[in-house]
Amino acid sequence: MAKTQSVRTRRGLGERAMGRVFLAPSFAFMAVIALFPVFYAIGMSLYNIRGFRQEFIGIDNYTRVLTDAGFFNAVGNTLVFTVASVTLEFVVGMAFALIMHQAFVGRGLTRAVILVPWVIPTAVAAQVWRYMFDHNPGFVNSVLGTDINWLRDPVWSMAGIISADVWKTAPFVALLLLAGLQTIPKDYYEAARVDGATVLQRFFFITLPLLRPAIVVALLFRTVDALRMFDFAYVFSGYSNSLATLSVYAQRYLVAEPELGYANALSTVTFVIVMIVGLAFISRMGRHMVGDVARKEK
Amino acid sequence: MSELSRHKRYAVRAGSTGLAALGLTLATACGTPPGDKPEGEGENAGIAEDPQFVWAVTGADRQVHEAVARLWNETNPDRQVDIFFLAPTADEQRQAMFQDLQSQAGEFDVLGLDVIWTGEFADFGYIESLEDLRGEVEGVSLDGPVDSAQWQQELYALPYSSNGAFLYYRTDLIEEPPTTWEELYETGTAAAEEAGISGYVGQGDQYEGLVVNFLEMYWSAGGQLFDDAQQRSTLLEGDAAATALDFMTEAYASGFYAEGFDSMVEDDARALFQAGEAVYMRNWPYAIPLLEGEEGEETAVAGNFAVAPLPTFTGEGTTSALGGLNNAVSTLSENKDLAREFVLWTATDPRAQDVLASHSLPPTMESAYEDAEDPALEVLGGILADAQARPPVPGYNSMSLDLQESLLAGYLGQEEPEAALEAMDRSANEALEQK
Amino acid sequence: MTAETVKPSGPVHRPRRRRHPAVGNALKLLGLFLVLGWCLFPFLWMGMTSLRSGAVALTDPNIFQGPFSLANYEQILDLGFQFALRNSLIVASVTTLICIPVAALAGYALARLPMAGKFALLATTLVATLFPPVALVNPLYQVYLKVYDWTGINLLNSYAGMIIPYVALTLPLAIFILATFFAGIPREIEESAKVDGATPFQAFLRVVAPLAAPGVGAASILTFVYATNEFLLAFSFAPRDLNVQTVPVFVGTFERVGYENPIGQIMAASVLVSVPLIIFALVLQRRIVAGLTSGAVKG
Repeated sequence: MAKTQSVRTRRGLGERAMGRVFLAPSFAFMAVIALFPVFYAIGMSLYNIRGFRQEFIGIDNYTRVLTDAGFFNAVGNTLVFTVASVTLEFVVGMAFALIMHQAFVGRGLTRAVILVPWVIPTAVAAQVWRYMFDHNPGFVNSVLGTDINWLRDPVWSMAGIISADVWKTAPFVALLLLAGLQTIPKDYYEAARVDGATVLQRFFFITLPLLRPAIVVALLFRTVDALRMFDFAYVFSGYSNSLATLSVYAQRYLVAEPELGYANALSTVTFVIVMIVGLAFISRMGRHMVGDVARKEK
Repeated sequence: MSELSRHKRYAVRAGSTGLAALGLTLATACGTPPGDKPEGEGENAGIAEDPQFVWAVTGADRQVHEAVARLWNETNPDRQVDIFFLAPTADEQRQAMFQDLQSQAGEFDVLGLDVIWTGEFADFGYIESLEDLRGEVEGVSLDGPVDSAQWQQELYALPYSSNGAFLYYRTDLIEEPPTTWEELYETGTAAAEEAGISGYVGQGDQYEGLVVNFLEMYWSAGGQLFDDAQQRSTLLEGDAAATALDFMTEAYASGFYAEGFDSMVEDDARALFQAGEAVYMRNWPYAIPLLEGEEGEETAVAGNFAVAPLPTFTGEGTTSALGGLNNAVSTLSENKDLAREFVLWTATDPRAQDVLASHSLPPTMESAYEDAEDPALEVLGGILADAQARPPVPGYNSMSLDLQESLLAGYLGQEEPEAALEAMDRSANEALEQK
Repeated sequence: MTAETVKPSGPVHRPRRRRHPAVGNALKLLGLFLVLGWCLFPFLWMGMTSLRSGAVALTDPNIFQGPFSLANYEQILDLGFQFALRNSLIVASVTTLICIPVAALAGYALARLPMAGKFALLATTLVATLFPPVALVNPLYQVYLKVYDWTGINLLNSYAGMIIPYVALTLPLAIFILATFFAGIPREIEESAKVDGATPFQAFLRVVAPLAAPGVGAASILTFVYATNEFLLAFSFAPRDLNVQTVPVFVGTFERVGYENPIGQIMAASVLVSVPLIIFALVLQRRIVAGLTSGAVKG
């Protein structure tokens, strides 16, 4: 017994110390590289910086944000892009997941191929789609028999980056949902079928509710990613207002028109917006996810 | 245990895939980046043994800049210059120079600036005033390039290289190049109909090229973007802006502009003209050798085209937008006198300017065009004499982004012309605001 | 027709209309082809366009219209695209090699070791995955300038300048995935090792870490893919210098230098980067799927 006793004591002390040692590198690193710059940015956003001329102007940059039509245009673009692309990705991803769940031949192959759009760097995918849409040589127009300026028309170019984003990430959503589908016991469907439930009823009353955790996770990742999207919009139309998202608009004031104070105010506001939306999601499901780790440990 | 070994297999497989990829890539890409283009970019060219100062300049046309610098070093062996080659794209050049200045590194003494950046660099306090050298360049350099080197009537840089636009036309379809835009429209429409091709290709995509195409028409109708003191926008004074925009709207709606004009940049226009698909083209001099088939590409128009100055709305003269570079002295330079001397030398020494001409980079000295042997260079000399600088105001970049958007919506008919022009006027005024 | 679906042991069974199995299979197959076509058709366009040369490639939308040549590939390699591939590989590998061990320690601590405020720490980690990179661009740039000023170490246009923020941005998700995996490993195994006299650290290293290999693989792949994909920070900190420029920046900012429309060259570059990544995806697909779904769906 004495031996067990001593092990326990050593463990108690050793493990607490070890926990702190194990955690320290990660959290220190994140704090220095991610958290500190946020405060630095807030500091800079209180200045007007034009080259070698700098002056403290308090919150003037933030009042300017609130009266800047370009900023609200970027908010609008970001919202349209986020809502449309996440919705379509969910619908297409769900369809793909159901197809793959049903199929028996070629499922392995499909599950592998479906990863391909996801591993291609977004900037590369964006260039490919950009040139497919481009009027010269006009591939998409020739397939659809249309004559649309996909890259410049404000409405159609938004449709363009949404379709490119859906192409790239619907498979990702499909995989998350497929994994969820595979956890639903087959018996439920059998039982429902026996009770005479139609396909749609089975989908809405069994599949959807039981998939809820997978759906929420997929929506969280996609929504946050869409809100901070930069690559597609920038590659399609640079800093032009027609596609400028929040990230692109902030970057415009860093590069195209360097006003560092204002740029930092814009990126800080973007940071706050993304965090609020993300936290809204996490507060709905985070307890569940985090709790799971804690639960398994018991 | 079998669980463990399965994981081990995965790890081995992943690891070997990774190693194979690493080996493959490293085998093809060992050493430092390659020969002709990007080498030396982002580092000193190393053309001087004991350089006294550094010239930061674009990596495009690098052999020209290098030849100029070598010439200086030959004549000034005790005061040699080294070149720092920047990226060939404008935004990246500007960012690299900003980085040098913001970080107080001050490694660049002479800055090769795009003609539209003068105001911004001056406003930011990044470049020295060269107003006292005005007498040295006036009457020696072309007027347009001198205009592009000043901000609020003060000279901040000196002209170095230039560029101007040609009207390319098909000699098998058009006898005499037009002198007015209306004539261009009429002859082009008729010839296009007859030959079953398009009338006109140019730069209609939403980018800086569209602003340039518009300004050329706007100026040729007598318009000026700003008043002389560069205090306010005069875009809406007179009817020049409306005339130019109406012409574009009409030309687009009637199909005089080729299909796809609204997403066309220099090379799209060049490809269409080269395929024999258009009567007229507005483009820079670079297209000539390509159209002649000298670069090995197929061409349907070799021997069947010529270049002329762009027409105007009045029928007199010509107006092209100026491209090119000016050289300025960094405020952080520790060798300002030497840098000033070098800047002046590149602008006004006939031998330096001849280096440009002999490499087909248009020079800025008037005398370089006087007895040009190349007929295209002679035409260009005439064009550059009347060419206009885009006003190099501090907010030029931002203004251009807004103008592009309004112009495109305007000529596509998505926005009322009055509304588009008013929006442009607002952007122009914003570009002047001292923030 | 209904006979085959009747379960002998089933309760009252209503006859249902049922498609002929062959029709059902054909539909399923059609569905699969739809999915495959969706994923792959841009690659057909990309591959064909990369082979087309001459002015006709800019004017004729028919991708099967020649002339065809490898000229675009030659040009893109002359421009040094292979260096961008090398740089991406180095940046992504080093990011992964730093991120995963550090994250494994933290994940283990959060899943296993006793500590105060564990729930808050896990929640913080989850929230940190939301971080928008645009908020880092300028402040980190300014910090790099200051570092240069103080120490002479230039992090701009360097591998380290990209790897540092990548590690910070990939740590949260890696920690979360690994914590989930560690939490799933039965505690008894570890206990028995300790009873055998192993220290906590030895128990972690010898017993727990190998069992968590699938989780480590999954987290590594996600980290690697993130680092090969990232554009905004690489574009801001290492925009041009081919000694460090990564693939997304090379391709995403490929501009019309000297006015020429580079459609063929961009597609050639896209093909060259896609081929290894596609192989990567096919070879590691099981691990990737496990990675994407772990910590998410299981939770």
